[in-house]
Amino acid sequence: MGTMLSLQKVTKIYPGAGHIKAVDELSFDLEEGEICTLVGPSGCGKTTAMKMINRLISITSGKIIIDGKDISRLNTIELRRSIGYVIQNIGLFPNMTIGENIAIIPKLLKWDRAKIDEKVQRLLEIVNLDPDEYKDRYPKELSGGQQQRIGVARGMAGDPPIMLMDEPFGAIDPINREHLQNEFLKIQEKVKKTIVFVTHDIDEAIKMGDKICLLRDGHLVQFASPEEMLTHPKNDFVADFAGGDRTLKRLNLFTVKRAMKDNPPIINQDETIETARNLFSEINTRYLIAVNSEGRLTGMIDKQDIPGKALLVKDAVAPTNAWLTSQSSLKDGLSEIFSHDYGFLIVVDDAKKVLGWLHTEDIKETLKG
Amino acid sequence: MILRILFQLVKRLAPIFLTIFFIVWLYTYYGAWDYTIKNLSEFFRLILEHFILVIISMFCAVIVGVTLGTIMTRKSMEKASSVIMAVVNVWQSVPSLGVLALAYGFLPFIGLSGIGMVPALIALFFHAVAPIVRNTYAGIESVSKDVIEAATGMGMTKKQILFQIELPNAMPVIAGGIRTSTAIIVGTAPLAFLIGGGGLGFWIFTGIALVDMGIMMAGAVPVALIAMLFDYCLGVFEKFLVSRGVRTDEIELA
Ligand SMILES: Nc1ncnc2c1ncn2[C@@H]1O[C@H](COP(=O)(O)OP(=O)(O)OP(=O)(O)O)[C@@H](O)[C@H]1O
Ligand SMILES: [Mg+2]
Repeated sequence: MGTMLSLQKVTKIYPGAGHIKAVDELSFDLEEGEICTLVGPSGCGKTTAMKMINRLISITSGKIIIDGKDISRLNTIELRRSIGYVIQNIGLFPNMTIGENIAIIPKLLKWDRAKIDEKVQRLLEIVNLDPDEYKDRYPKELSGGQQQRIGVARGMAGDPPIMLMDEPFGAIDPINREHLQNEFLKIQEKVKKTIVFVTHDIDEAIKMGDKICLLRDGHLVQFASPEEMLTHPKNDFVADFAGGDRTLKRLNLFTVKRAMKDNPPIINQDETIETARNLFSEINTRYLIAVNSEGRLTGMIDKQDIPGKALLVKDAVAPTNAWLTSQSSLKDGLSEIFSHDYGFLIVVDDAKKVLGWLHTEDIKETLKG
Repeated sequence: MILRILFQLVKRLAPIFLTIFFIVWLYTYYGAWDYTIKNLSEFFRLILEHFILVIISMFCAVIVGVTLGTIMTRKSMEKASSVIMAVVNVWQSVPSLGVLALAYGFLPFIGLSGIGMVPALIALFFHAVAPIVRNTYAGIESVSKDVIEAATGMGMTKKQILFQIELPNAMPVIAGGIRTSTAIIVGTAPLAFLIGGGGLGFWIFTGIALVDMGIMMAGAVPVALIAMLFDYCLGVFEKFLVSRGVRTDEIELA
């Protein structure tokens, strides 16, 4: 994986804007398959920086290299067709149906009909809009948030290796936004596109970015991974922008799996209560996690709450929902620990097999690094 | 339920039928029918001339008007277009009769006869072209900058943007211009007779001169029906040409 996108001292001075540099000697390198979130206050030059990459805005000085080639030497049309573009103000084509909007780039690239139809279908599903219901509607018949989702689908349609997305989820409600973000990251996992993603929401920048590029008044303040930026903000501006709760924000960067301990107090539910009692005193614990013969979670037994006539562990097990899958974020993990009385959380895989357990101390440990 | 639908239908169609009924009644009352039957071959000649006047001048006006209006929106034409627009605006304010008179007076200067079908066509063409140029220009200019930016950024060529984005989105406005022009031309065509251009104006003006309502009606009624026919055809054509996504919402008549 080499450098896919490289900005080298890129500067933009708008004609008639005096000597104000909308973008000032911006340099950064992006590896193939990385998402870089461009973030910063309104007017800091995010859109300008992005539009220089597909040459919608001319570069005043500096160089942009894509896949080893200086973009100023490339054919503009071909360059743009290889870059997916999602603009800030959506810009769907009003005269075309939703299906036609999404199909526009594949059509220009002369894909065959069947492949285009399939792509349109898939993309509509990804952005959570029922293809049968929406494919033949026109943009004006959609809500703002729905239109924006179509904008994202349209940008992805041509399978471009690079994508530029200008606040693509800005007009979408929190629930759908979260869905889209997750869905997008899931797809990204597979397709590994190189993406420049503009947002003014630091949480989104942290969640989506492999790298965060923080701009202020046109110049680069810090270019770093979210983890690096949150733990070592370069200056007060970065610290302020990241927010006073930046340590808590880091919880989003880790999975439960990363922090958990893999020695949970497990007992097979087919064992006798005697075995359980021995185990309780042996490891000095109040709770045991009950599993079936396949190792899947069935519940929990509480030392202080064992019915007198119970013979097997099975008879004493109480169901529990104090568990999370290992891919959940530490933030959800922490929240889950606090919403139960056990003082810990059970970590399971997708088949509900117990993998480990998580305490607040483990989280603290992980944040310390 | 059925009664309701029937009522709606009557409500919708009644004005049209009443108008046609009134026209037909006038037509027969003044003896235009008899006059037309007696002069059937002349009638067909006049109808044909009338159609030629309207269709040819409109056809040329649409081609030239849309092309010119489109060219004016190109970036390099910014300065020229404001001049053309000013001329077009002045031009549009000249009344129909004035345009014919101008053609009659001006054409001899460039070595053409001011009398006959050709000068009439030229006059009608110039009269029709103004609203089309104006609306084409305004229609394309009004296409959202975001839409153009998205298209450009995705790698569409100038030509693709023009034909797939700009023109289709400007189409309601352009069609409006064509409709206005047609209405003007259909209304002006009878005047073509005054400079020897032929058409149904012949009977209308003859009727007026002889104070013979029959002859006049024999010309006037077909002119009115032709106007309605053109308007209807354009409406159908417009439905076909303008995407549902950019059609301005029609107010339901029901
Ligand atoms: N066409 C233009 N001509 C002159 N100045 C411009 C032009 N476009 C943007 N600017 C200026 O350049 C600076 C950066 O603008 P830009 O649109 O890149 O900001 P942004 O970071 O995308 O802001 P936002 O978060 O509000 O979208 C701003 O100060 C803006 O006023
Ligand atoms: Mg912006």
